[in-house]
Amino acid sequence: MGGKWNKSSLIGWQFVALPSALILLFSFYPMIQSFILSFQSGKGSVYSYVGIDNYIRLFSDPMFKQAVLNTLLYLIIQVPIMLFLGLIIAHLLNMPNLRFKGFYRTAIFLPCVTSLVSYAVLFKSIFSLDGIANQMLTSLHIINEPIAWLMDPIWARVVIIAAITWRWTGYNMIFYLSAMQNIDPSIYEAASIDGASKIRQFFTITIPMLKPILLFTAIISTNGTLQLFDEVVNITNGGPGNSTMTISQYIYNLSFQYTPNFGYAATVSYAIVIIVAVLALLQLKVGGEKR
Amino acid sequence: MKKVLSLLLLVSLTATLLAACGSNKNDSNAGNTSDSGSAKQKVVAWAWDPSFNGAALKIAEELYQRENPNFELEIVDMARTDLEQKLNTNLASGVKKGLPDIILVNDPNIQKYVTAYPNTFAEFTDKVDFSQFSQYKVDALTIDNKVYGVPFDIGVTGLFYRTDYLEQAGFTAADLENITWDEYIEIGKVVKEKTGKYMSTINPNDEALTSVLLQSGGSWYITPDNKGNFVNNPVMTETLRVYKAISDSGIAKPVTGWSEFVGSFNSGDVATVVSGVWQIASIMDAKDQSGKWAVAPTPKLNIEQGVNASNEGGSSWFVLEGTANKDLAIDFLAKTIGGSSEFYERFLTENGGVGSFIPAFSSEAYSQTSEFFSGQAIYSDFTKWSTVVPGISLGMYTQEAKDALKNELPNILNGSDLTQSLANIQKHFEQQVQ
Repeated sequence: MGGKWNKSSLIGWQFVALPSALILLFSFYPMIQSFILSFQSGKGSVYSYVGIDNYIRLFSDPMFKQAVLNTLLYLIIQVPIMLFLGLIIAHLLNMPNLRFKGFYRTAIFLPCVTSLVSYAVLFKSIFSLDGIANQMLTSLHIINEPIAWLMDPIWARVVIIAAITWRWTGYNMIFYLSAMQNIDPSIYEAASIDGASKIRQFFTITIPMLKPILLFTAIISTNGTLQLFDEVVNITNGGPGNSTMTISQYIYNLSFQYTPNFGYAATVSYAIVIIVAVLALLQLKVGGEKR
Repeated sequence: MKKVLSLLLLVSLTATLLAACGSNKNDSNAGNTSDSGSAKQKVVAWAWDPSFNGAALKIAEELYQRENPNFELEIVDMARTDLEQKLNTNLASGVKKGLPDIILVNDPNIQKYVTAYPNTFAEFTDKVDFSQFSQYKVDALTIDNKVYGVPFDIGVTGLFYRTDYLEQAGFTAADLENITWDEYIEIGKVVKEKTGKYMSTINPNDEALTSVLLQSGGSWYITPDNKGNFVNNPVMTETLRVYKAISDSGIAKPVTGWSEFVGSFNSGDVATVVSGVWQIASIMDAKDQSGKWAVAPTPKLNIEQGVNASNEGGSSWFVLEGTANKDLAIDFLAKTIGGSSEFYERFLTENGGVGSFIPAFSSEAYSQTSEFFSGQAIYSDFTKWSTVVPGISLGMYTQEAKDALKNELPNILNGSDLTQSLANIQKHFEQQVQ
């Protein structure tokens, strides 16, 4: 038996070997290198080891704090809104007597196929001072003076949150929809017979059944929001006054806009890794199966 | 049998992969080292605008080929941010293969590059007669008494204005000659009242205006020894006072980006634009506004050292140390962009580019008048102003300092105590740069 096991597993290992080698070379090796880099500091090509000084520096760096604050703000406000919207839309699309299902589904998923940069540029022009948003609001007499959306710290954040919600809601909706279609209709039937209202069914059947998917989308959305870059760079470029700057943009600035300090930039990258890990763990603890 | 087959597959796959890597390497080698021994001598240059700095290289190549028929220049065009990213990553990784011989550098990056990547850029100190260039351009290239490149285009600023709007508001050209910013604001209020047009644009997320104001007073965001220059700096205080005054007066149309900024004067929304000489091309894009524009000297700060001239942007040519054709590249730049009046005349006539080479200023090309600008000899005016632009050290941390300022700017515009705000900015900058 032993010989046979060895032979077949050898063939298996051969198939796995090449991809593994490539992953090791192009994924894990850079990770380790950047981790080593995060203990160095300097300018451009002149580096020296500074121990954990870079990590200590994070705590006194006002720009980093601002970036973390902005990113967490997006996370706390945007992710719940987006996931809840996705859930509602998926539920509506899953109603058996809805007509033109295919059309709605395509329409809502469509933003996901647009390029990040091009939709960001569109949002920027919609919310410029003489953009469509202001024209519509003034012609409807909701506002008298055009709002300088992207020049006000609060409104600029609102625009960013609106943009990412528009782009990603459909993406999450697809996950929910496919999961909902896997729920056995007889469960709902039984609930109806027992006299549960539609809303009651949604909260006590649909949501609990979707728990693993909800957890999955929450983690990938958290991860995606923490790495937010394209939208902010193109819509506000971090402004006004750094009030929309994200951690990723700060890493970019440290490497390419400021006097290059790749060591410190690597440290900030690892700060994201730590934050993502902690948040994912937290979500797993709160939402995961209790065993 | 199966085992042999799968092994074979594996081996062939690995082989092709390795072969691909290998051939790649050979390619980049061949591209870089070029055949310096044989007849053709090829130099590679990176630039970011084929109709401007790329075109300038083409002119220079033509001029140089007259005496060196074997000389050949390969110009690689890419977006400026791409170029800077590529250069940064290449230099930081220490891999110099694939880098060109000549590279275009944005002036605020000069000191940053030279300090962050020592022994990477070739020295030009004795290769070019720098006394023939505007002093402030040479100052920007000088680090520890060594000059690291050839000055290229300049961004000497002027006050572009719509003669028709100003006339309608009751102002003549003489009213705009050598004014202060406070006078500018007063004129703006009248223009706004009589024509309904904004005087200028304002973008709180862009440092162009504050940079122009600071340099016109001979100051910058950071000191020559790379410390924050926000506290106890009368030029900075005056700059932010003027900036707030413009914002408060309501004469400026808020814009959020470059295209909105250009759109504001192309569509006739604003009466004036304070910008670098290179803005001429964008202004002239609005063909229907021909004959309705003129240029006056930049308004000045109301302080002792304020002058009616400043600078916005500009770039220089660098040669990389250690490439095979370093000496040839230096000679090429020194004889053309670094010392040929003919080059600058052609560059101006063909591409509207203004350099800082003083002997060219007295040439015919520079004294031409422009129909678009109401028959004004705009280039000779701009070059005249360029000789009085105060020289400043751009230092290493310009971008960091600008971001520190940007952080506090909304508070300043909302009327916070300026001294306190400046102290905050200084503190922010010091925490940021370690």
